Amino acid sequence: MGITLSTAAVAGLETLVKAALRYDPATRRKLGKLAGRVLAVEMTAPALRLYITADEAQLYLMSHWGGEVHTRLKGSLSSLLSLARSGGGNLAQSGVEMMGDTGLLLDLQSLLRDLDIDWEEALSQLFGDLLGHQSAQLIRGGLNYGRDRASEAQRLLSEFLTEELQSLPSKLELEDFNQQVDDLRLRLDRLEARMTSYFNRTSKL
Amino acid sequence: MTEKKTTHFGFEEVAVEEKAAKVAGVFHSVAAKYDLMNDLMSGGVHRLWKRFTIEASAVRPGHRVLDIAGGTGDLSYQFSRRVGSEGLVVLADINDSMLNVGRDRLIDRGIAGNIQFAQADAQYLPFADNSFDIITIAFGLRNVTDKDLALRSMLRVLKPGGRLLVLEFSKPQSELLTKVYDAYSFKLLPLMGKLVANDAGSYRYLAESIRMHPDQQTLKAMMEEAGFVNTEFHNMTGGIVALHKGIKP
Repeated sequence: MGITLSTAAVAGLETLVKAALRYDPATRRKLGKLAGRVLAVEMTAPALRLYITADEAQLYLMSHWGGEVHTRLKGSLSSLLSLARSGGGNLAQSGVEMMGDTGLLLDLQSLLRDLDIDWEEALSQLFGDLLGHQSAQLIRGGLNYGRDRASEAQRLLSEFLTEELQSLPSKLELEDFNQQVDDLRLRLDRLEARMTSYFNRTSKL
Repeated sequence: MTEKKTTHFGFEEVAVEEKAAKVAGVFHSVAAKYDLMNDLMSGGVHRLWKRFTIEASAVRPGHRVLDIAGGTGDLSYQFSRRVGSEGLVVLADINDSMLNVGRDRLIDRGIAGNIQFAQADAQYLPFADNSFDIITIAFGLRNVTDKDLALRSMLRVLKPGGRLLVLEFSKPQSELLTKVYDAYSFKLLPLMGKLVANDAGSYRYLAESIRMHPDQQTLKAMMEEAGFVNTEFHNMTGGIVALHKGIKP
């Protein structure tokens, strides 16, 4: 890919990341941790080089960087995506080579995980529609993995407390109980109305 | 009678002392519509060429940057954001019309605090030795009367280890592209200049001055001659534009 085309592709990707950041002030505040540090991603198949850095307000994606690089990742698109899926902790099996500061990779990964980026649009700009779609599915899978695990843990804990320990009522039991409370309240309301009516009639006699 | 020294002004030969005034005339004339014409002429691609220049500069927070022939401030805007409050950007241009447009535009875009403006001649830069980490000159060097003198002046004000980036039109790398490019710049470009800026002459000068500018290898050699080391260039858009880089030893 020529310099002009790769610069255009990366500029498009950066625009999407910036658009996502614009509406996410909480994530934007974390950018300071990355300021002045540069991550290089060297993709072997398809061949693409990408540099990521940040300042206090923005994340920058670049197709070229003439200065110092703090962390360098090298691997095929599929191995880099499998690293994303593993949550960043399983470099050994991912087939990705890493050199430099691991902290930068973890900080960046935690920042990107919180961002709602249209990955399909972003990767289609880089690799075309078909490969872009497939890659986006994998990235979404990878980034959503942590969120899925968290909600799965919550479900298991809730089952343990209700079914195993029986220290909490089940959802059905709770709904049944609520229904009974509602019925009782309605019956009390009706009784109150009938008593008021009865006292009104007796006071007129 | 002594023979007058001459230089190029587009395809014309003019006396050395006349070139600066003639170039100034062109840029006074195009200043107001400079950005619009750049977008039209390059189809917006000049933004990518400038973006690549920023990337190659490796600018970091705290850096001091001199943007020579900075014109309407495209590079200065990006540099100002990247160097942060600890850094400094000096937007310099020999032409006060261009400098005024650039200053107004940057102020309108909220750039202040870490930027200064200077009307300066690239051949005689009014800054102390070893002042800047990065110097850029984008689409400006071909308009300078004595390019060797300008390169030496830039070397003087760069800090040791500092880098010069020259973004300039250059020589297309294929025959076919050269033919298409020639037709475009000598026929369509003056016509667009006439329609949009009502100034065909200035845009004809731009096309001619591009052809008279040194090609990639010649400019690289000139930078080495001036004293820069680790010089290299990157062709962009088939060599229509090239970015030259050199380091002050």
